[in-house]
Amino acid sequence: MAGKLAIVMFSGTADKFIPLGVLSQAAAALGVEVDVFVTGFALRGFTKKKQDLPFPSEFAGAAPALAQGLKANKVPPWDEMLSRAKELGAKVYACSMMSSVMGLKKEDFGGLVDDVVGAATFLQKAEGGQTLFI
Amino acid sequence: MPPEAETHRRIDSRGEACPGPITDLALAYRRAKDGDVLELWATDPGVRSDVRAWAERTGSELLSVEDRDGAIVSVLRVRRRRP
Repeated sequence: MAGKLAIVMFSGTADKFIPLGVLSQAAAALGVEVDVFVTGFALRGFTKKKQDLPFPSEFAGAAPALAQGLKANKVPPWDEMLSRAKELGAKVYACSMMSSVMGLKKEDFGGLVDDVVGAATFLQKAEGGQTLFI
Repeated sequence: MPPEAETHRRIDSRGEACPGPITDLALAYRRAKDGDVLELWATDPGVRSDVRAWAERTGSELLSVEDRDGAIVSVLRVRRRRP
């Protein structure tokens, strides 16, 4: 495991936010430097105004059982896990280009987003580490 | 001046899903000093391998992992890496 982990959070469906929470929190707990770059429809999960994240249609039928299982196993919501990762030093950046495309400004994002940056800034931060694309 | 006594801290992460226990351990580690003993109580089965990975990562010493009272109890000694 390298000393740095970069996560490109691209998907906007609810199921994909679970590994974002789990892996960012686990990596931060290991003392790994974590940078999350949010782009595409994933940006919808980070706005101040809460938006419902859909499940992928092929799994829509399984979503209620999954929600129940998460609750029964006391798995915290993804944003709580990401908050804990941030307590341990993780940083979250929103993609400037996709934010503009979706009409989102820095003030539209909630407290999880540290800054709105360009792709080059993120790539520079990610250099020399491991990168995950979710 | 004698060195500050080493402490033994118990962390209760029972009922917390992965990666809750390892996060609680990391937060306790932040406040710990070299030689301190951390005793992590957890019920998520992932903790067995996670404490090994965490100990390896931080240079801490994993003293034991055992089942006790329906929980998995891991005992670690904090080893601060010298700069």
